Amino acid sequence: MRLIVLTVLSIALMVVDARFDALKPLRSQLGLFVSPLYYAAELPVRGWDTVTELTSSRAQLIADNERLRAEALLTQRKLQKLATLTEQNVRLRELLNSSSLVDERVLVAELIGVDPNPFTQRILIDKGENDGVFLGQPVLDATGLMGQVVEVLPYSARVLMITDASHSLPVQVNRNGLRAIASGTGRNEWLELRYVGDTADIREGDIVVSSGLGQRFPAGYPVGRVQSVVRHPSQSFAEVRVAPSAQLNRSRYLLLVFSPESGYGDVLPALDLSPDAPEAEAAPTDEPAATTQAAAAETAPAADAEEADNAQ
Amino acid sequence: MRSSLVIIFTLLVALLLSVMPMPEPFNLGRPMWLALVLAYWVMALPHRVGLLTAWLAGLVSDVLFGQLFGQHALVMTLIVWQLLLLHQRIRRFPLWQQSLVMLPVFGIAQMVLLWLNSLSGNRPPTLLFLLPALVSAILWPWVHTLLQGVKRRFRVI
Repeated sequence: MRLIVLTVLSIALMVVDARFDALKPLRSQLGLFVSPLYYAAELPVRGWDTVTELTSSRAQLIADNERLRAEALLTQRKLQKLATLTEQNVRLRELLNSSSLVDERVLVAELIGVDPNPFTQRILIDKGENDGVFLGQPVLDATGLMGQVVEVLPYSARVLMITDASHSLPVQVNRNGLRAIASGTGRNEWLELRYVGDTADIREGDIVVSSGLGQRFPAGYPVGRVQSVVRHPSQSFAEVRVAPSAQLNRSRYLLLVFSPESGYGDVLPALDLSPDAPEAEAAPTDEPAATTQAAAAETAPAADAEEADNAQ
Repeated sequence: MRSSLVIIFTLLVALLLSVMPMPEPFNLGRPMWLALVLAYWVMALPHRVGLLTAWLAGLVSDVLFGQLFGQHALVMTLIVWQLLLLHQRIRRFPLWQQSLVMLPVFGIAQMVLLWLNSLSGNRPPTLLFLLPALVSAILWPWVHTLLQGVKRRFRVI
């Protein structure tokens, strides 16, 4: 008897949770109590990190320091060029009467847990609603696009990786602008480009970047590099594999992006606002982006037909 | 009172173990810690730990894993229900035979979990989802011995 009651109750809960938003507040409150478990589970790893840091030798520290200094020098050189390039870009865009690119803002978050289910690719990060994180927010690491926020708890958030089997994002080949949909495969070694025509101009080694068409991810961030292209004469689409450029299973520090495409969420985060970011320019584009962003789920189905046409 | 605290503590440890980071190949065979601990308490103290405890523990793990509410709750209830039916018989078995009984119990649980997961749209393409049941069944004698030690040490009744 009790079994029947509890079973019916569980099924009812599942249906309500899947179809309505009524349980969201309860879930986030419970999450507040439960997420410390993730912190606790990560403690040994953190402890080990601290120990290795404390006991690393002086020579190693000096070597590290030198390497980092060299790296900083190199990036600064690139940055110098970038400043002039950005200016040039803005001027050209003004000539063309198109809107100028707005700088995005980022918030640094730390990984605190990996989803224990081996068949999903999700992680938990240490920033949540109180830091201005919102649903659908893009997440990057130092080398590329990682995923998007799918669940926001008060002090933590869950991120769905681009390699999860249920995730797709609109991308573009950097070399020629060919558009496609990159779908996760459930394994973190590669993504699949869906609906790329057999005759499409795509080669091994091509860099694939986000196209920004889904109104969710900002345009131009690297997604991966084409690993293999298999063309079957009997099939209308080629099989394209892309190795993600983000270090999906290694990055410890991630960047949460606040951009005009993805919206800024309900609150602008008070911290991390770089003073030179043009606030006024961002404001008008903010509103529509935020509303459409909520409505636009995975854009894959709608864009499929168009992509296929373009490819052929 | 103290007995309840000890039981709750072991359940919390089980939850902690189930989100412990593990290297990639082992992650596939991660033991069903919560199910193991619940199974022990149901067999040892059926008057204290029953369907309701299992259901609540399942709900907490749903929140922890960020899955649909009720998914693990249903599975844990099913495991405990089967064990409530079986416990008077298998309590007398030697531990390795108990393991053999645990294998189908946990296997059924993993099957149900797979069905529920596929309802929400992610179905693993392999049979590997049954691996945790096998690993849990193999671990059963050790978990049983350990928890029996805990039970005697803290005189949980």
